[in-house]
Amino acid sequence: MKVIYCAALAAALALLPGAAFSQGKTAPKDAKLYFITPYDGQKVRGGFWVRFGLRNMGVTHAGDEYQNAGHHHLLVDVNEPIDPKEPILQDKSHLHFGAGQTETFLELPPGTHTLQLVLGDAKHYPFDPPVVSDKITVRVRQPSQRGK
Amino acid sequence: MGEIRNFRSGNQDGPPPHGPMPRRLAAIIVGDIASYSRLMQADEEGTHVRVKRIERDLIQPSIVEHHGSLVKTTGDGFIAIFDSPVEAVRCSIVIQQNLVGRNASLPKDSRIEYRIGVNLGDVIVEPDDVYGDGVNIATRLEGIAEPGQVYISGAIYEQIKHKVVCGYESLGDRKVKNITDPVRVYRVLPDADAVGRTRGRRENTLIFLLAITLLVIAAGVLWYLLAQTPGRRSEQAAMPTASPAASPSPQPPPREAATQTPQPSPSLALSTPSPAPAPSPSVTPVREPEMIAIRGGSFAMGSNDDPTERPVHQVSIKPFSIGKYPVTVQEWNECAAAKACGFTATGKDNAPISNVSWTDAQQYVGYLAQATKKPYRLPSEAEWEYAARGGTQSKYWWGDKLQPGMAGCKDCGDLAAEQPAKVGSFKPNPFGLHDMGGGIDQWVEDCWHKSYQGAPSDGSAWGGGDCASHVLRSGSWKNDSRYVRPSNRDGYDTNVRYPTHGFRVALSP
Repeated sequence: MKVIYCAALAAALALLPGAAFSQGKTAPKDAKLYFITPYDGQKVRGGFWVRFGLRNMGVTHAGDEYQNAGHHHLLVDVNEPIDPKEPILQDKSHLHFGAGQTETFLELPPGTHTLQLVLGDAKHYPFDPPVVSDKITVRVRQPSQRGK
Repeated sequence: MGEIRNFRSGNQDGPPPHGPMPRRLAAIIVGDIASYSRLMQADEEGTHVRVKRIERDLIQPSIVEHHGSLVKTTGDGFIAIFDSPVEAVRCSIVIQQNLVGRNASLPKDSRIEYRIGVNLGDVIVEPDDVYGDGVNIATRLEGIAEPGQVYISGAIYEQIKHKVVCGYESLGDRKVKNITDPVRVYRVLPDADAVGRTRGRRENTLIFLLAITLLVIAAGVLWYLLAQTPGRRSEQAAMPTASPAASPSPQPPPREAATQTPQPSPSLALSTPSPAPAPSPSVTPVREPEMIAIRGGSFAMGSNDDPTERPVHQVSIKPFSIGKYPVTVQEWNECAAAKACGFTATGKDNAPISNVSWTDAQQYVGYLAQATKKPYRLPSEAEWEYAARGGTQSKYWWGDKLQPGMAGCKDCGDLAAEQPAKVGSFKPNPFGLHDMGGGIDQWVEDCWHKSYQGAPSDGSAWGGGDCASHVLRSGSWKNDSRYVRPSNRDGYDTNVRYPTHGFRVALSP
């Protein structure tokens, strides 16, 4: 039993780096991911549109294995660094746009928030090197009329 | 709200026109520990300490919080009075639900479980006791209540039925000892145990009736066969006698059932292994997910913890069944083998299937429904939450605090933070369902809406809206504990696969 366990562990350890390397498709060096809107430091009231810009790469559906193409992920108030060996997380601060969307309408509570874009490959892994945008800050002000 | 205390601390401002006896209308709670003598016999000091602790930490604060006042504690119970029936019942529910949490980690025979009766009556209040019919009835209600349950009288029910958001089951009029008129009794359902037991009893009755129906049908068929000359038809007609066993829906006429098997996938091979006199040699029974019947009811859906979960709204749920576990790799791969599902999954047989889109999940339930001739489907979002809550209204199904061993998530404690190796690694909720929260995200039928504004209240799936996304429930091993809450919800692109997304199936009766 123990032997099997050890063997399994050894196998897992041996395979782990391989698995990690097999992920993370290579991206062109000049790929650039950026926000069209909003701009860094912009003040917004209530909901606002976020538009994603991508140069020298293409946007496709999640699951599509085309070379030099991926799909957008919008990270809201995420401080942890991106783990290149794991799929980009999926939760309320890691928004996925696997259907190939290039914009979204965002509603955030009043206050200061950070936004960052990360391009993911067919299996939601970051590219190698990671294709990420600058992290920008938006200030959401109280909506002018409440209860809407 | 403070009047009770005035009465108790002396009745100078109480208005007793008939002498010193202060009468007042009050909601009376009588609580009592089930099997107290057995517990005392097993461990006298330990039990005493535990009971005192429960009284100090739970019962007294709950009563005060709900503007009631503790009249007295007896060795194994307590009596409290409230101005408001609503508060009295809420307080009882809080006590019972907290006890469920406290008892969860204990072996069955050392659990301290209270029975609680609540009645509304005109009683005589003295500083350290209350007297009157009203108290006696509450005591009797407590006496007939099952451990862990709250029984209320008709008088209380009339006051609270539209105010306290939970289910009630009428137990009819009961004659109680030394009280002339029968008392109408209701069981309050948010208590998890009560729901479970009701389900059991109802189910048993149902199964019994079903069995009788089946016997009659079988006898009829047999008689029909004997009356005829036995021929090839006998084989065909004999099979359907097995098929209605699992589907209480109108039984298909014998011939139809026999001819409705166009594929080797056997409609007749149900959970009961049939002799399978099928035409095709390659008949393997369809592996059906293990299902748990959920009794219908009504509950408060949503929470105020996240904007997507607002507003909290009352939803009624019709009876349905739901998978005890998320669909497993093994179950999925049968669908893949039948070329009905898009890919063959790798991983352990009893691991939850993952990396499936909503569309993939639909393919599986479609396949299962077709292969079994049962209306398998995804649960609606309301059904999912109702089942996940397991009759509770707390933050998690086991209470308001995180506890290890209950769910698999990033910060849920001990054995979390890894991809679930198998389904059912954590404790089942009060409905007997595993992994309703944490483990693997689960698709439901509904289109994504960013709040419950305009949501249906009949428990059906909510279509329309942004149907390019569908609703995910449960949270996964990668999420933190906020996502484990039964009310947590999120939306995701309908056609996109993600490694933490799976599903479980539901079945209409």
